[in-house]
Amino acid sequence: MSSLDDLKQKAHELRERLEGQLASASDSPSLQAVRDRFLGRKAGEVTALFKDLGKLAAEARKEAGEALNELKAFSEAKIGEAEASLEQRLRGSRLSSERIDVSLPGRARPSGSKHPLTLVREEVEDVFIGMGFDIFDGPEVDDDFHCFEALNMPADHPARDMQDTFYLEGLPPRLLRTHTSTGQIRSMLSNENPPGVRVLCPGRTFRRDDDITHSPMFHQFEGLVVDRGITLGDLMGTLEAFIHAVFGKEYPVRFRPSYFPYTEPSVEVDMGCSTCKGRKTGCRVCKQTGWVEILGSGMVHPAVFESVNGRLGKVVYDPNEVSGFAFGTGIERIAMIKYGISDIRLFYESDERFLEQFS
Amino acid sequence: MKIPVSWVRDFVDLKVSAEQLADDLTGVGLACDGIETFGSEAVLDLDITTNRVDAMNMYGVAREAATFYGLPLKPLDLSFPEAGAPSSESLRVAIEAADLCPRFSARVFDVRVGPSPSWLKDRLELAGQRSINNIVDLSNYVMLEMGQPTHAFDLTKIRGGVLRARMAEGGELVTTLDEVGRTLTAAVGVVADAEGALAIAGVMGGASSEISEGTTTVALEAAYWNPLLIRRAAKGLGMHTDASHRFERGADPAAGPVSIARFANLANKGAMGTARPALIQARGAGIEARRLTLNLGNIDARLGTSVPAAEAKTTLTRLGFEVTEPDPGASAHLGTARAWDVLVPTWRGDCTREVDLIEEVARHHGLMKIGRTVPASRRAAGLTPAQRTERQLKALLSGLGYREALHVNFVSSSKCHPSQGAVVKIANPLSVEQDALRNSLVMPGLLEALERNQRHGARDIQFFETGRTFTPSPEGPVETPRLALLISGATPRGWAAKARPVDFFDLKRTVEEVFSRHSSAVLALTREGVPPFLHPGRSVVISLDGNPSGYLGEVHPDTIDAFSLKDRPVVAEIAIDALNVREALVFTAFSVSPKWCATSRSSLPRPPTPPRSPRSPVNRRGPPREGSSSSTGSRVWACPPAR
Repeated sequence: MSSLDDLKQKAHELRERLEGQLASASDSPSLQAVRDRFLGRKAGEVTALFKDLGKLAAEARKEAGEALNELKAFSEAKIGEAEASLEQRLRGSRLSSERIDVSLPGRARPSGSKHPLTLVREEVEDVFIGMGFDIFDGPEVDDDFHCFEALNMPADHPARDMQDTFYLEGLPPRLLRTHTSTGQIRSMLSNENPPGVRVLCPGRTFRRDDDITHSPMFHQFEGLVVDRGITLGDLMGTLEAFIHAVFGKEYPVRFRPSYFPYTEPSVEVDMGCSTCKGRKTGCRVCKQTGWVEILGSGMVHPAVFESVNGRLGKVVYDPNEVSGFAFGTGIERIAMIKYGISDIRLFYESDERFLEQFS
Repeated sequence: MKIPVSWVRDFVDLKVSAEQLADDLTGVGLACDGIETFGSEAVLDLDITTNRVDAMNMYGVAREAATFYGLPLKPLDLSFPEAGAPSSESLRVAIEAADLCPRFSARVFDVRVGPSPSWLKDRLELAGQRSINNIVDLSNYVMLEMGQPTHAFDLTKIRGGVLRARMAEGGELVTTLDEVGRTLTAAVGVVADAEGALAIAGVMGGASSEISEGTTTVALEAAYWNPLLIRRAAKGLGMHTDASHRFERGADPAAGPVSIARFANLANKGAMGTARPALIQARGAGIEARRLTLNLGNIDARLGTSVPAAEAKTTLTRLGFEVTEPDPGASAHLGTARAWDVLVPTWRGDCTREVDLIEEVARHHGLMKIGRTVPASRRAAGLTPAQRTERQLKALLSGLGYREALHVNFVSSSKCHPSQGAVVKIANPLSVEQDALRNSLVMPGLLEALERNQRHGARDIQFFETGRTFTPSPEGPVETPRLALLISGATPRGWAAKARPVDFFDLKRTVEEVFSRHSSAVLALTREGVPPFLHPGRSVVISLDGNPSGYLGEVHPDTIDAFSLKDRPVVAEIAIDALNVREALVFTAFSVSPKWCATSRSSLPRPPTPPRSPRSPVNRRGPPREGSSSSTGSRVWACPPAR
């Protein structure tokens, strides 16, 4: 019959042996072997001591049990510690063996991009959407009424010379719109909430011109605001806000009287030259004036309201009650100024060397 | 127009530099494009808008400057002595087409033709005109100075001693000063003598009555011609002259006698000629003085600023408008708004409405003084569903590695493929290379773009393009927004993966991606009806809910040869209307059990399970061939479901 002292003595020996064996176990199989040897459910030496517990006198059992439990907890902790430290060592060596050459390039994937004219168009649209404009799409093929007549350019009007027009074969007579100003007429005619209008009409336009600064097809946007009490000051404030949003607040904006048949008063809008920054000397972009033309604009001519009313068959836009302003410019022009492009033809040639610069 | 500053100073005592003058004129609407200096002379290059014929001369520019600076405008010196028999003894004038010629004035001069004195020659040169002889130069000088074109005829060459303003007889011949023989239609106005046309009215004089060294008597003519008829005549003849430029935009109907007097004054001063007594005048259609009503409240209402009434009145008066204010007490008594009665000067044919007067006031008030405001918006704005779809497509495709291409609408009709429908032709094309509107984005646009890129060594290409195609219809051309895709060359090469040629399935994946996001319709790909420019075994027609909406396929070897292409490009073209804006996404709850559960996007029936994609390893020989097990002929299959 074992005594309590024997048991304590054995526990002490096991504790010392465990520490010795853990110190020499350097990999996970030998650690597992240590665990099995001491804590194995069947043959573990610590487990075996618990079986001797029943042989003790009842009064000694409590004390012996506490000692054994302490031994078991000690063994669990020691073995767990050793396992954790081994795990850490293994992960460390794995990480160092997994070192990659981070200087290699990323995996190749085709790189895409929007066209620079799309970038400008979306930017311009967003600026005006922010000021309460809808975007209005009109047809590229149109007729004389929408393109000229309703815009106060009746047949034989000299202003038609400024816009040499492409006509289409066949009937009914059709032309390619020479400007997005057609959107003024079309948006007023189809307006669901008259007489208020606030639209931006971007799109393709066509003129019989072809050289380094003119393409027979190019893009414009036209804007129109109509309501009660719209003033020239509103025109100027809106267009200044637009220029500052797209180019930056550092550019001065200049308004000067001009002429368009469909606006009165008509206003040309210039911004400070972004190439020479107003230094003028030797600048070919602004012809040494310090200014570049950026928009044509003006207050809607009463004759335009009258033609729209005529087509509608009733007075919807009474020039004595409502007023408005219209403006327009070339999207290529803005892109050329913004990105420093001098040859307009680059926009339409889909040259990878050009397009990739807008990624 | 070239404006020598010293010439403007003849009429207004400018206190400013040429640079300041240029800036100020720009500010009132006479835009200065540049200043050139020749010794002590500064010449402004003014871009005068087409409505301002009155400012296309030195006196008109001086009037603007005088108004702006508040300086007096000196009158033209129109004094001259007369000598000899009355003009009417050797010359008669007759208006035989009243519409063509509302006013016709003439006077006979005894002249000494010779080279121009230096003051005349120098000024013309500064203004960009070549000197011819003193009489012709003087006529040009007067036009540049005060705007009215005049024409000098050699009196001895006028048969029957009569100048007749009439329409040409159909087929009538005249040789103009540029020594071109011209056959006139009955729509062209002429100045004729008893026997035939001498000059084209308002456009150019004729060679037969030209001033020569031997000329001793001159009939100087100054008329006001109908702008519309001059414009049609000049356009019909393909001519554009200083005279036609002014007449077709509307000259000053009252300027004829003034211009002849100014000619007489200068001819006398320069000892170039002497006027015979009495101006000869004839009148055609009447021209009424124009009176407008200006409601003062409308000035501020239109401009959004406050312009004092006194300032508005001063501006208009200085510009030559006569402002009369109906008894202000009366209008106050009647409770009506204050309004002015404004008589428009004869040289301002462009002012036809109240708003034109408001512009005059605004120009000289200074636009830069007007406060800038942004009008309040009354409702939320944004893109339409179709506009959103297009933006989403562009964002998706550029994100998937496609570059956005963009081409002009014009193509050569010979390069349009007949399978893509009839073409819309341009009646007046710039060239046969651009004689039609495209009916496809791929053919020839994207294929030509690929060829250009391959020519400079760019072989690996992924393009997308959106744009409209055009087909004729009885109601006029129909515009169809389309999306086109093109891939060519190889997949990207790198240290981790070998490059392989792109093929049908690469582009098919993109097409599937587009449709899974932008269409809830049942997508079917069939072999029937594939365009002939595609490889018959490697292409499909794309149908949505049974409607053909586009195609996808490898380019036919014949087409590759025809466009001198390298590699094996794959293309697709789809009508964008078939796509819709990405539907509102609705979350569907999923089970927490590990069992896989679809997040279905709509209650639409799921498309039938597609046959498995060919599993054979991708190889460099190209895409897998259809196995012998599959039936020949048409096969319909559907795209895998979304995501």
